[in-house]
Amino acid sequence: MAKVNFPNLEPFKDELWLCGRCGDCSLADKIVASDRGVNHPCGVKNVLGFETYSAKGRIMVINDILDGNLEINQDIVDLAYACNICKNCQETCMATADGIRIPDMMEALRKDLVANGFSVQKHEEIENSIINEFNPYKETKDFRLKVFGDREFPEKAEVVYFTGCTSSYREKEIAVTTVELLSKIGINYTVLPDERCCGSILLRLGREKIFGDLTKHNIESIKRTGAKMVVTACAGCYRTWKIDVIEAGYKYDFQVLHITEFLDELISKGVASFELEDRLRVTYHDPCHLGRHSEVYEAPRRVIESIGNVELVEMTTNKRYAHCCGSGGGLKGTYGDLANEVAGNRIREAEETGAEFLLTACPFCFRGLKDGARHIGSDIKVLDLPTFLLDTKISKSMKRVKEEPLKLKFMEYLANHPMIFDGLKKGAIIEYEIEDSRFHIEVTGKREIIANPQRADNPDVELMFSPAAVTTLVTFDSEDKYAEQFGKFFKEPTDLEWIRFNLRLNIVKLLMKGYRKFAQKAGLI
Amino acid sequence: MTVVKAAASHQLYDELVAIVGQERVNDNPVIISAYSKDACHLEAERPGIVVMPNSVEEVQKIVKLCAKTKSPIMPSGGRNGICGACLPRVPNAVMLDMVNMKKLVKLDEDVMTVTVESGMRWAELIHILDNHGYKLGFRGPYGGNAATIAGSVSINSMGYAASKFGPAPEGVVSLEVVLPSGEIVRTGSAWNKDAQVFTRYSSFADLTGIFLGDHGTLGVKTKLTLKIYPNAPFSSYIDLGFTNLEDAAIAFLEIQKRGLTEELNCLLARESADTYFPGLLDSHPGINATIHSVIMETDQQLAERKVQIIREIGQELKGKDLGNFAAQIHWAEKFNEVQPMYNNGFWLNTCHLRPIVRLPELMKRMRTIFKKYNLEKNGIKWIADALAVDRAYTAAWVTIFAPTRDKMELAEKAWNEMLDAAIETGGCPYWNGLLWENRTLEKVEENFIQLYRTLKNAIDPDNIMAPNVFEGGY
Ligand SMILES: Cc1cc2nc3c(=O)[nH]c(=O)nc-3n(C[C@H](O)[C@H](O)[C@H](O)COP(=O)(O)OP(=O)(O)OC[C@H]3O[C@@H](n4cnc5c(N)ncnc54)[C@H](O)[C@@H]3O)c2cc1C
Ligand code: SF4
Ligand code: SF4
Repeated sequence: MAKVNFPNLEPFKDELWLCGRCGDCSLADKIVASDRGVNHPCGVKNVLGFETYSAKGRIMVINDILDGNLEINQDIVDLAYACNICKNCQETCMATADGIRIPDMMEALRKDLVANGFSVQKHEEIENSIINEFNPYKETKDFRLKVFGDREFPEKAEVVYFTGCTSSYREKEIAVTTVELLSKIGINYTVLPDERCCGSILLRLGREKIFGDLTKHNIESIKRTGAKMVVTACAGCYRTWKIDVIEAGYKYDFQVLHITEFLDELISKGVASFELEDRLRVTYHDPCHLGRHSEVYEAPRRVIESIGNVELVEMTTNKRYAHCCGSGGGLKGTYGDLANEVAGNRIREAEETGAEFLLTACPFCFRGLKDGARHIGSDIKVLDLPTFLLDTKISKSMKRVKEEPLKLKFMEYLANHPMIFDGLKKGAIIEYEIEDSRFHIEVTGKREIIANPQRADNPDVELMFSPAAVTTLVTFDSEDKYAEQFGKFFKEPTDLEWIRFNLRLNIVKLLMKGYRKFAQKAGLI
Repeated sequence: MTVVKAAASHQLYDELVAIVGQERVNDNPVIISAYSKDACHLEAERPGIVVMPNSVEEVQKIVKLCAKTKSPIMPSGGRNGICGACLPRVPNAVMLDMVNMKKLVKLDEDVMTVTVESGMRWAELIHILDNHGYKLGFRGPYGGNAATIAGSVSINSMGYAASKFGPAPEGVVSLEVVLPSGEIVRTGSAWNKDAQVFTRYSSFADLTGIFLGDHGTLGVKTKLTLKIYPNAPFSSYIDLGFTNLEDAAIAFLEIQKRGLTEELNCLLARESADTYFPGLLDSHPGINATIHSVIMETDQQLAERKVQIIREIGQELKGKDLGNFAAQIHWAEKFNEVQPMYNNGFWLNTCHLRPIVRLPELMKRMRTIFKKYNLEKNGIKWIADALAVDRAYTAAWVTIFAPTRDKMELAEKAWNEMLDAAIETGGCPYWNGLLWENRTLEKVEENFIQLYRTLKNAIDPDNIMAPNVFEGGY
C-alpha cells in the first residue's frame, strides 16, 4: 500500500473518537419523538442507500483510512466528493457541543487527497479556469459584466452588489433581477468592474492555493468603490465572505449582507414594501450556506411574510434541519445525476406543502431545484427570491406590523431586569413566545441583554408562556421573585398560567452557555 | 445510482444483483467499512457483501440463494446495537441492511394493532402513529432514532415506557419471518389467513416467542405487528431525591409495583447526575440517588392523582420532592439523552437486567472497581441508571466513558471487571452479542442451551443464518 499522508485529516482524530455511531445523522426522524425537526438528515445517503454515505459511515471510513485499514484509491476519492458539505449531519449530531464536524473533515480529506495526487479531472479544470478566467465556468473574464447589457454602474457607491460567478455566467436572471430590484427601490449601488470568483468552490473541493489572491483582489476592488456595504444574492459567496475569508486571516471594514438581510432591513425601515395582486401560497428552501453555515434563517422568511397576499408554508424539514438542494459541496459538478436525485427529493417535500412556488435565495439552489423539478416531472415553480419580488407591486408605503401590547410589555420588563439572565454567557439567545407572537433576548455581555422584537435565527431555548403567566410575571420588582414564579409556572402549571419550553441546543452546549445557573435560579434544578 | 462501485468479487455478487439490482448490492471494502461495527467498540468479521432488500419477496430470494449455496447471512437493522450482535462471526457473510423496509403495512384500529416492515425505526413509527392519534406501548430503546423494531425485538431491548409496558418483545402480536429455508411463516393469529392480526396467543404453541430475542439466528423478520394505544395527552412528572440508594431502591420498587408510571428511572448515584446533566443536584447537597417518574393518562385528574400518590409514597419512604425538571427533560428529549454524553468519550456499557432490590449491591461492586482503576483521576466518567421494567425489575445501565484513545486500554480493563460483577450479582443481560456471550455461555444451564440448539438445527440445518451466534469465541 502506498504511503499517503493526511496532515489535514489527522487533527480530527480526537473528535472522531467521540462519534458513538448512534446513527442520528443517518436515520433519525425526531419530528414527533423529540420535536426537533430532524428527518433523515443526509440527502446523499437518502438517495444512495448505503450507510457509508451518511456521516456515521464516513466517520467509520475515515477511521479506517487513518488506521491504515483501507487502501487509498479512486473509491475513497469518489466517496469524498459524494457529499454536499451541507452540515445537516453536524447540526443533527449531539455528541459534541457543535456536533461532529463531518463537513470540515470531508474538506480536509479532499485537501489531503489533492495534495497526494488524487485528482478529479473536472476539478482541475475548474481550478485552472479560475486561475485563468477568474470563474469556474471557463467563460471569458472580460465578459463578466455582459450579463447586465448596457447598464452602467458608477465607480463609487454606498453599496456593492457582489454578483458571483454563477449569477454572472449561468443563472443570469438572478443577476439581472437583483440589479433591477435594487434600482427600483432606489439604492445607491454599483457592481465591481473586475469582480473575481470568491473562491468558494475551490475551498469546497479542497483546492485552496489561489484563494488568498482572489480575496485580496476583491477586497481591494471593493475598497476602491468606497462602499460600506457589500450585498450578495449568492449564499456561497456570502458564506465565503462571512466565514472563510475571516478564517483565512483577511480583514475588511465593509459590512457583508445577503440580499435577504438587506431587503429585510429596507422593509423594516419602510423603504420598500411588496404586494401581490392575488393570493399565493409559497414555500421556502433554506440554502445550506445561508442557513446552517451562516445562521440566517429568519430574514428571508420575514421578507416573504411581508409580501402582501403571500402565505408562507414550511416544508417538513426547514431552517436548521432543512435538506440540502443537492448542489452544495461541488456535488452537482461532480455527480450531476446524484444532485438531481437529491434535489428531486427536496422538490417532493416542497410539493407536499401544496405551495405553488418554491422560493430560494441562492443561484446554486435555484439551478439545482429547477433541475430537480424537471428530473421528477414536477410542476412546482422554482424562483429565486429577488426574481419573485421583482414581479410584485413595489412601493414605499410601510406596512407596519402592529405589535401585541403584552409582548411589548414583557420585552420592556425583561430589558429592565437583566439580572434574570445573570450567568448566561455572551451570545446566549432565548426565544419567547406568547400566543404566536415572538421575540428574543440576546445576552450581549455580563448582565447586558438586548430584547429584540424579532424571532431568533437559532435560539438556544424556546420559552412558551400563557398570557396570564406573563401578566403575573411582569408585576415582580425583584428578579428573584420573578425566577421563583417562573419555576412554579413550569413545575405546577394550571390551565391558565403555564410555561413550557423546548431545548434547541443539546445539553452540553447549553451548559457551556451558562444555562445551569439560569435553571437553578428558576428553581428548576 | 452508485457512486462507490462494487468490487464484484464476492461469489454471490452476480446472483444478488439479479435479485435486487446493482444499486443495492455492494462488496467494495469502502462500503463494507461502514458495516464493520455497530455502536460499540467490539469487532468480529467484516461482511463480505451488503444487500439492501426492499421487500419480503427480495428477502426470500436472497435467503433461498444463501440456502442453496450454503452461504452465511446476517440480518442487520440500524446497527445501533451496543453489543456487536449484528456483526458476522464468519468471513464473507451476506449482510442484509434492512432499513429500506420501513413501510406502514396496516393500522388496524378495530383491534388496536399496527403492522410495519421490519426496518421501521421507533421514532419514525411514533411519528406515524401520532398523526393517527395513537401511541406504542414500549416506545423503543434510548437509541430509537436509528434502532429498528425488528432489531430491538430480536435482542430483547429495553427502553422508554418499559415501566408500564415491559421490554420491546412484549409489544409484539405477530411476526412475519423468512426462515433459513426461504419459507415464510406468520405467527400469532396470522396463522389464520382470514383473521385479523389481533392476538399473539391462539390455538397453537406461541411460535412468536421463538423468534423474539433470537439475535437473528432463526430467520429474517420482515413484518411485525405491535400493540397500539390511544394517545394519552395528559402528563405529570415528579423527581424524588434520597440520601442513599438503599432508600431510593425501596421507593423505586414500591412505585413500580403499583404500576403508576409510563416511564420510571432511577439515577443510582450523585455522580451520574454530573455526567448526565452537570448541576442537576447542585441545589441538593444531601441527595445521592434520584427517581424520575413520567405519568401519561387519557384523563387529567388521573394523571394528577397518580403524581400525588407517587409523591406520597416517596415522602413516606424518606424521599424529598425535587420538582420535575429532570423527568420532563428526560421525556421531552426522547432518544436524545445518551448522545450528549458521548462528549465524555467512547462508551463501554454493561447493560443488563436485575431485580430492583439488587441495585445497591451492584453499585457497591461498581464503586470498588471505579476506585481500583482510579477512574476519576484518569478522567473516565461514568453513569449509573436503572430503568424500571415490568413490576419489580430494571434495566441497569452502568457505563463508563473512555475520554481518549489512550485511555481505552485502562477503561476496558475496568469494564471487563464490571461485566463480571454484573453477572456475579445476579444480573441477566437483555442482549447478548459479543459483549456478553462468553460470560452467559459459562453460566447457562445445559438443557436450556441444548433446547435452543435443537430448535436452531431443525430450522437451520446448514447453519446459514447468523452462524456461530450464541456459540461464543469472540
Ligand atoms: C444512543 C444509544 C442508546 C441506546 N439505548 C438503548 C437502550 O436504552 N436499550 C437497549 O436495549 N438498547 C439500547 N441501545 C442499543 C440499540 O438501540 C438497541 O439494541 C436496538 O434494539 C438495536 O436495534 P437495531 O435495529 O439497530 O439492531 P441491530 O444492531 O442492527 O441488530 C441487533 C440484532 O437484531 C438482529 N436483527 C436486526 N434486524 C433483524 C431482522 N429484520 N430479522 C432478524 N434479526 C434482525 C441482528 O442480527 C442483531 O442480532 C442504544 C444504542 C444507542 C446508540
Ligand atoms: S456523527 Fe454524531 S450523529 Fe452521527 S453517528 Fe456519530 S455521534 Fe451519532
Ligand atoms: S454534509 Fe450533508 S451530504 Fe455530507 S454527510 Fe453530512 S448530511 Fe450528508
